[in-house]
Amino acid sequence: MSYENEITDKLDKKEALPEKLDISMLKYFWQANPFSSTKGGNIPKFLRRIEVLKNFSDNELRLLSQSMHLRSFENKEIIFKQNDLGVGFYFVYSGNVDVTVDSSKGTEETANYLLSLDKYDYFGELALLQDNSARNATVVARGNTELLGIFKPDMEALILDHPIVAAKLLQSVSLIIANRLFSVTREVRALKYKLTQRKLGKDGSKS
Amino acid sequence: MEAKASSSKKEWLRLIFFFSVILIFGGALLSLPRAAIPLTIAYVIYLIVSPAIPTLAKLGLGKGPSIALLFVALLFFFIYPIVKVVPTITREAKEFKDNIPRIERYVETQYSKTRAVIKDKTGYEVPSKYVSEVIEVARKGTANFLLNLPQVLASFLEWILLVPLFLFFLLKDATSFKKSILRLTPNSIFERFYYLSHKFNSQLGDYIFAKFVEASIVGIIITSGLLILDIKFSLLLGLVAGMTNVIPYVGPVLGTIPAIVLGFAEYGTTPTTGAIVLLYLIANTIDIGIVFPLLVSKIVDLHPVVVVMSVILGSQYLGILGMVVSIPLAAAVKLIIIEIYNGVYSDRNR
Repeated sequence: MSYENEITDKLDKKEALPEKLDISMLKYFWQANPFSSTKGGNIPKFLRRIEVLKNFSDNELRLLSQSMHLRSFENKEIIFKQNDLGVGFYFVYSGNVDVTVDSSKGTEETANYLLSLDKYDYFGELALLQDNSARNATVVARGNTELLGIFKPDMEALILDHPIVAAKLLQSVSLIIANRLFSVTREVRALKYKLTQRKLGKDGSKS
Repeated sequence: MEAKASSSKKEWLRLIFFFSVILIFGGALLSLPRAAIPLTIAYVIYLIVSPAIPTLAKLGLGKGPSIALLFVALLFFFIYPIVKVVPTITREAKEFKDNIPRIERYVETQYSKTRAVIKDKTGYEVPSKYVSEVIEVARKGTANFLLNLPQVLASFLEWILLVPLFLFFLLKDATSFKKSILRLTPNSIFERFYYLSHKFNSQLGDYIFAKFVEASIVGIIITSGLLILDIKFSLLLGLVAGMTNVIPYVGPVLGTIPAIVLGFAEYGTTPTTGAIVLLYLIANTIDIGIVFPLLVSKIVDLHPVVVVMSVILGSQYLGILGMVVSIPLAAAVKLIIIEIYNGVYSDRNR
């Protein structure tokens, strides 16, 4: 007797039906099987949740993930140092990173803590565009950290192999840079305003 | 602090592991020339043809089919000349060998004539041993070549099997191989290593591709010119000119010598010989004046002395293959030196 007949039979006889097939449980067991590589499948999902990559289609994210590199860092491991030559743009896949800027006063060098980046944050985007780009800050892993990086050679290969994906990535990078430029311009204007106010105040007190 | 110390220790271990893997691979290849030479040839062909894959993929073919298509086309281009052109060239080479005594006689008579002229004009008698020594060396070289021929043929047969095999897997798996090497690369040198190896590879690829195009252009010009002039051995001479053209500076001269000697021996001082000389001059002028500046010189920017030195070094260790590979290798070494220089002196520059 087929499953369907069995069910209709039971319905007719008003017997208790067998338990429903639990799809989500099945899916869990399917995904938890040791032979499926979950990491590769998870990268496009991770990228999907990044705001600046929202114009990518699912397939484009899959293609993008193929040219990215997952690198793991230990606690306190330096990802790159200020003034290093940089070729990579990183997304924080798991863990945290600290960004510090070295400022040299005379002979003394002090590292100033700038900010901390979390999962789904990104850094180093200028390196993808500039020639001989020097890093503006030092980035250090806090706790065990995994980073997803795309590098200049990958970018060049992407332009040849998948131009649309490359164009969208460049669009995203430009978006990031445009946002930063916008806030920097605003800040400069505010500082200029403060400076002129101060000057005016000084002149006023003199006279 | 402790975490930092242990992580730096681990990083050291990773560095040592990474470089020992590279050294073991490199050492194994260098100590096994029977595998290394076909692998190098396959790699050179890979560098020449791999730019075609994205182009084919853009036409709507997947990566697999485009590799298969490329491979079939390459096999055709390899087998076709072996079937069609090799017999002609072998015949020409055989005829050339039959002509050697005549060329020898011609060189000897010319030499004695020149000697007589020099003696007439200056009173100095040039000893006759020079020419006989040269001929002896040439004869020994030919005999050596003929003695080694079975061995060369055997390795050639091995290559016919190995080169396509290596080439196929290079076309198919080069990307995943690259990825696994990058996965092994320690964090502290990752960006620099990736960038340098990429630059090195693309420079090598561009250079070899440009040289291949240049040699083909010269070979085609000379072969068709000789065919138009209806000269014997036109295919053989064109092949020689194309192949020697790959060697910088010395190559074009080396490629010209057999043609001019043959021309004088065969046709004497007639307009035909003049036409041959003119043809080689035109071909090399086109090469030096148009093809080289457009194609090759943009890719490697090395001082001529460095070029000659690296060619000599390359020929010392790897023979003719070394001559071909030496210049991109020198360019790569220059790249690495500049990189290290920038790294060491970066504080001074900024």
